[in-house]
Amino acid sequence: MKLFRRGRVLQATFGCNPNSSSLGVDVTFLLFGAAFASAVAVVLGAWLRREPR
Amino acid sequence: MRIARARPERFGGIVEVESPRALLHVDRQMMRELGYPESPLWQLPPEGPLSAPREVHVVLSRRCAAGCRGCYVDATPDGAALPFEDACRILDELAAMGVFHVALGGGEALELDYLFAVAAHARRVGITPNLTTSGLGLDAKAAEECRVFGQINVSVDGVGAAYAAARGFDGFRHAERALRLLRAVKREVGVNCVVSRSSFPRVPEVARLVHKLRLNELELLRFKPVGRGARLDEELTPAQCRELWPMARRLVWRERIRVKLDCSFAPMVFWHRPSAKAAAFFGVQGCVGGDVLAAVQPEGAFTGCSFTPRPAADARIPGAMAEAWRSGFSEFRDYAAHAPEPCASCEYLRLCNGGCRAVGTPDPGCPRVQEHRSRRPLPVVAG
Repeated sequence: MKLFRRGRVLQATFGCNPNSSSLGVDVTFLLFGAAFASAVAVVLGAWLRREPR
Repeated sequence: MRIARARPERFGGIVEVESPRALLHVDRQMMRELGYPESPLWQLPPEGPLSAPREVHVVLSRRCAAGCRGCYVDATPDGAALPFEDACRILDELAAMGVFHVALGGGEALELDYLFAVAAHARRVGITPNLTTSGLGLDAKAAEECRVFGQINVSVDGVGAAYAAARGFDGFRHAERALRLLRAVKREVGVNCVVSRSSFPRVPEVARLVHKLRLNELELLRFKPVGRGARLDEELTPAQCRELWPMARRLVWRERIRVKLDCSFAPMVFWHRPSAKAAAFFGVQGCVGGDVLAAVQPEGAFTGCSFTPRPAADARIPGAMAEAWRSGFSEFRDYAAHAPEPCASCEYLRLCNGGCRAVGTPDPGCPRVQEHRSRRPLPVVAG
């Protein structure tokens, strides 16, 4: 039996970058660590699936 | 959350969503679940450069009356400008490549009478235009027209006298007025603050201003010895390089504001060993020139980033940018594969990519590089 694997969000960058150099570090999000990143990935994935294109 | 658009990539795809405004990298399975067709890119290994930049900095001109002492584009009152027709045609090509955002800047882009027409054209072709400005000369009518932009940041390198000390002219009151005018018409308004050796101690004052004016972000940009900045001795000291990340964290907690750092600060963050998983997820990266980022200069040069002088193509020639993207930018893309020590053994190499090319390779501001160099034995000199 083949298990169905759901799609995943691999990376999320919020907002827009108006600068001459790219956005490197969003300090606010990085502060919360890996567990927070995993939770955000799950929530964003669920939201994406709900929304029509 | 509404999906604005998406494009396929080797790993799956990039999805742009509105409210919250975000770019999401998703895997192939998620692209299928969202209803996108199979892509030939999915036959390739998932690692590799993006099929097109995500964002492009379009330097509309080297024209600016302010004459900041450290201007990295060496702007003057009669500097070169990218003509309106060229700018629109380049935006058409970038849209066809799948670029999501452009950062319009200069020089002082507000000095161009066709700035808003360029921004409107970007919107028409599906690209979000963003703007950096000094705010000089911005009035209520221009602020109203700025609704066309996504994020607008006003350059404020210090508060009060610290502004004049950093930039060489007294423009703080103009910048603060511009921030108030812009904030009255839109929420996505922030501050860009160049962090140099002499301005470093006064960055918290800028953070307080961001809090006071209820702006949505403070972006700290590293001073780079490029343009007129090459004549200044303003690069951060080793102690400041180590202190940058703790300071940025303090600003988040104390002022309750969103703080971002530009890509050139990444080595100074990775030295503090943040979660690599969180860093990868939130797109914390060092040099992304020629991959996530590209730039178009006023003279038409298509470069890996705004700070590198080496053109990969002439953006004014139809098709040249897409062709250069497929085959060029090896100086950016190949670094990790051939990195010297101390980068080669660094666990963050794939994220950091050696730090900022504009200041040196490997990045001399990286504390790890500084430690490595201090440990190297001195050469023996025969007496």
